[in-house]
Amino acid sequence: MTKFLATTALVAVLSLPVYAAQPAEGEKLAEDQSLSFWILDAIKTLDPQLTESRTDSDMIRQLFEGLMTQDDTGAMVPGMAESHDISDDKLTYTFHLRDAKWSNGDPVTAGDFVYAWRRAADPETASEYAWFVELMNLENATAVVKGEASPEELGVTAIDDKTLEVKLSKPTPYFLKTLDHATTYPAPQKVIEEHGQQWTQPGNLVGNGAYVLKSHDLGVKATAVKNDQYYDAENTIIDEVNFITVNDQNIALTRYQAGEIDWFNLIPAGQYPKLKEEFPDEAISVPWACSYGYVFNLSEKGPEALKDLRVRQALSYAIDRDIIVDKVLQGGQKPAYYWTHWAMEGFEEPEIEMANWTQPERMEKARELLTEAGYGPDNPLKLKLMYNTSEDHKKIAIAVQQFWKAIGVELTLENYEWKVFVDKGNNQDFEVQRYAWCADYNEASTFLDWFRTDGDNNGMWSNEEYDQLLADAATEENPAENYKKMEQLLIGDMALAPVYHYAQPNMIKPDLRGVPLDNVMGDWYAKNLYRVAE
Amino acid sequence: MFAYVMRRLAVAIPTLLLLIIISYILMHFAPGGPFSKDREVPAAVLANLNAKYGLDDPLWKQIWDYLYGIVVHFDFGPSFVYPDLTVNQLIAKGFPVTLTYGILSFLLAVLVGVMLGVTAAIWHNSWLDYLAVGISIGAQVLPNFVMAPILLLIFTLWYRLLPGGGWSFSDPTFWIMPIIALATSYMASITRITRSSMLEVLGSNHIRTARAKGMPERRVILRHALKPAMLPVISYLGPVFVSMITGSVVIDMFFSTGGIGKSFVDSALNRDYAVMMGVTILLGTLTILFNLLVDILYVWIDPKIRY
Repeated sequence: MTKFLATTALVAVLSLPVYAAQPAEGEKLAEDQSLSFWILDAIKTLDPQLTESRTDSDMIRQLFEGLMTQDDTGAMVPGMAESHDISDDKLTYTFHLRDAKWSNGDPVTAGDFVYAWRRAADPETASEYAWFVELMNLENATAVVKGEASPEELGVTAIDDKTLEVKLSKPTPYFLKTLDHATTYPAPQKVIEEHGQQWTQPGNLVGNGAYVLKSHDLGVKATAVKNDQYYDAENTIIDEVNFITVNDQNIALTRYQAGEIDWFNLIPAGQYPKLKEEFPDEAISVPWACSYGYVFNLSEKGPEALKDLRVRQALSYAIDRDIIVDKVLQGGQKPAYYWTHWAMEGFEEPEIEMANWTQPERMEKARELLTEAGYGPDNPLKLKLMYNTSEDHKKIAIAVQQFWKAIGVELTLENYEWKVFVDKGNNQDFEVQRYAWCADYNEASTFLDWFRTDGDNNGMWSNEEYDQLLADAATEENPAENYKKMEQLLIGDMALAPVYHYAQPNMIKPDLRGVPLDNVMGDWYAKNLYRVAE
Repeated sequence: MFAYVMRRLAVAIPTLLLLIIISYILMHFAPGGPFSKDREVPAAVLANLNAKYGLDDPLWKQIWDYLYGIVVHFDFGPSFVYPDLTVNQLIAKGFPVTLTYGILSFLLAVLVGVMLGVTAAIWHNSWLDYLAVGISIGAQVLPNFVMAPILLLIFTLWYRLLPGGGWSFSDPTFWIMPIIALATSYMASITRITRSSMLEVLGSNHIRTARAKGMPERRVILRHALKPAMLPVISYLGPVFVSMITGSVVIDMFFSTGGIGKSFVDSALNRDYAVMMGVTILLGTLTILFNLLVDILYVWIDPKIRY
C-alpha cells in the first residue's frame, strides 16, 4: 500500500490546520454573528441515514461532519479523516481519523462510521437512501441492501478507534467525493439506541459537526448554535444558524428585504434581472449542478413516432433554448445541448453539432427531418408532454408547445401532481416527459449514469458502447475523454432533448461573507462563513 | 333534550367509522404511494418500507390494525414522510397553533361582522349602512391569499412593526397578521348575513308590536330583534368555526405558522397516509361535535324549535 494524497487540494490544505472561516485582512467582524437561511419546505428528518432531501442535508451538514468536507470551491478537504491511503488496486481506502468529539464529549471513533454505514445499508433501517451505499461501491453493498448478506459483511471495518478501512467492489474514481454526503456521516450509536427514532429531537440529538441543534419547530424554524466540543470551534465565527421555512418564494423575498432572512437561494423565475438592477451587490447567480430536459419514451410503451431518430432530432432542434433561458427563466441559467452540467469538476465540453447552428438553421433542419420521416400538414405528428405541477415547468412547456407547433407538431400538455408524475415516469406511461437531474457528487458520471442500460432512465434508451465507456471510466486516470464520447453518443441518438443547465439565483446580504459561490454543488458550511461590520 | 344529544352521539360513532373506512380506501387507490420516488427506491428497500408501515398487508387488515391502534392505544401511527415524528406528535405540534389563531380570528370575525351587520340594518340606507356594506364587499374581494402578502408588505417590509412569519406562543406579535388575514372574508360574510337577517326581523310583526307598545328602540333591538336575527348567523358559524380552527393552508404557507392546515395538504400530496388519516379524523370529529353544538344552541335561541 502506498501513501497517496488524493487531490492537489488536499495537499494544499494539509499545511493549514483545517478549512475554516478566514476573514480577509482589514475586515472587521460584526457584533451579531447569527445567520438566517431560507428553506422552502419543512425539514423532514435530521437523521443523516434517513434523509433524502437537499433541505434536510443543508441543516444536517452543520450538525454532523463526514470523513471529508468541501472547501469553498467544492474540492474535497479533510474532515473527520486527517489523511487517507489508497491501495494500488484502488479497492482499499484507509482513513486516519483526527481527535474529535461528539457534542456530548464522547470521542468520535472509526466504529461510529462503521455503525452509520451499516445502518444506512441495513434493510431494517429501511432508508430510502440505501442505494447511496451501492453507489459508493462498498463491498457487498448490494447484497446487504437486498437483505442477502448481513450488514456486518459491508466493506467497512474499524481497525482501531482511529483507523477506518473501506473495501470497494470496484475502483470508483468519485469515491472520495461521496464522503461528504449525509448518508455517510457518523452516527452516535449510544444515543440512537437510547432514544430510538426520537434521537433527532432537540436535547437528544448528539452530533460531531460545528453546530448543535437548539430547537426545531416543524415548518417554522430550526436553530443550531455553536458546538464547543467541535475540534475547530475556536475558528468558527458564526455562532447561530437559523433555518427559516417559508413555503412561498415571493413571501420569502419580502422577508429577505425586511431583514428577517440573510440568504435566499431561489429567486422565482423571471425576477432576477429586476432584483439585480435594484440590488447589484445582493443578487448573485451561480451555476448549480442540475440539468433539465425532455426525455423521449423509447420503450415498447412509447409512441412509434419517437423511435425514429429523425423525429427526435427534429423535436430537439426546434426548441429555442435561448428564449427559455433569457425570456422565461432569466436567472443566469445556460442553454443545454448536452446532458452533464457544464460546470462539473473535470468535465470538458463535448463537441455537439447542433450547438453551433443558429436557431433558424435548426428550425430548417427540424422541418426537413420531420418531412423525411413522413409527417406534414396532412399527417401532423401528435404528441403528449407530461410535466409535474409547477409554474416554471408550465411556462417552459407552453413555450415548447409553440416551438413544436412551428414545425407542425401538435403537442398536448399533461400536468400531473408529483406522485402521479413520478409513478407514470417510472412505469413508462408517457410519451415525452420533462425531467431534471441534480448531481449526487461533483463529477460527470452522476449525470451520465442515468442513461446506463440499467440506470434510472425513464425513456429506456440503451447503448452498449455507452455502457462500456461508463464502465471503463471508473478505472481511467482521466475519464473526461470517455464522458465526452458518451455525451456525443447520447445526443447523436437524441435520447433526450436537453433544455437548460441550472443556475442558482441568490439574494445574499452584503455583510455575509464566505458564501461558497464557486461550489457548483451548492453545499455550504456555516462554520466557513462570517459577517462583517458595515 | 338529553335523549336527543345521546341519540346524535350514537349516530356520530358509525359516521366517523364510515368516514375512516372510506377515506382509507380512497387514499389507498390514489395513484402513487408514499415511497414513489423520482429515483426509484430499490425493490428490497421498498419491501422493507412497506413491511415497516404494514402496507404489505391486505387492505381490510390495514384498516383493522389502524382502527385498533386508535381505539386501544390512541395511536395514530408513524408519519411516512417525517420519520422523526409520530402522527400524534405532528398533531400535538400543529394543532395548538391552528387552534390559537383560529379561535381568535373567529372571535374577531364574529364581533366585527355582527357589529357591522346590525349597524347597517338599524340605519338601513343611511351612510352607515353604505359604509358597512362597502367594508364588507371590500373584505369579501380580498381573500386571504391576497390579504396575506398585502399585510406583509405593509407591516413587515414598510413599517417593520410585525414579524413576517413564524410562530411563538409567548409573543402575540406573531399572531396578528394570521388572525387578520384569516378573519376578513369570514367577517364579510357574517356582516352580510347579519344585515339581511336583522332587516327581516326588524320588519316582522312582533317588532312592530313592541314598537307600538312604546318600548324604547334600544330595548327592541337588544331584547327582541337580536336573538332571532342570530339564527341564520349561527347556522353559518357552526361549520365556519370548524373550518377556522382546523386551519388554513394559505395562512400556514404565507406566515410559516407550522399549523395543521399545511400538514394536511402536504400529507395528501406526499401520500403520507397516516398523517392524512389523523387529520381527517380530527376534522371529522370536530365537524360532528360542532354541528351538534349548533343544534343545541338553536333550542336556546328559538323556543319554537324542539327536538
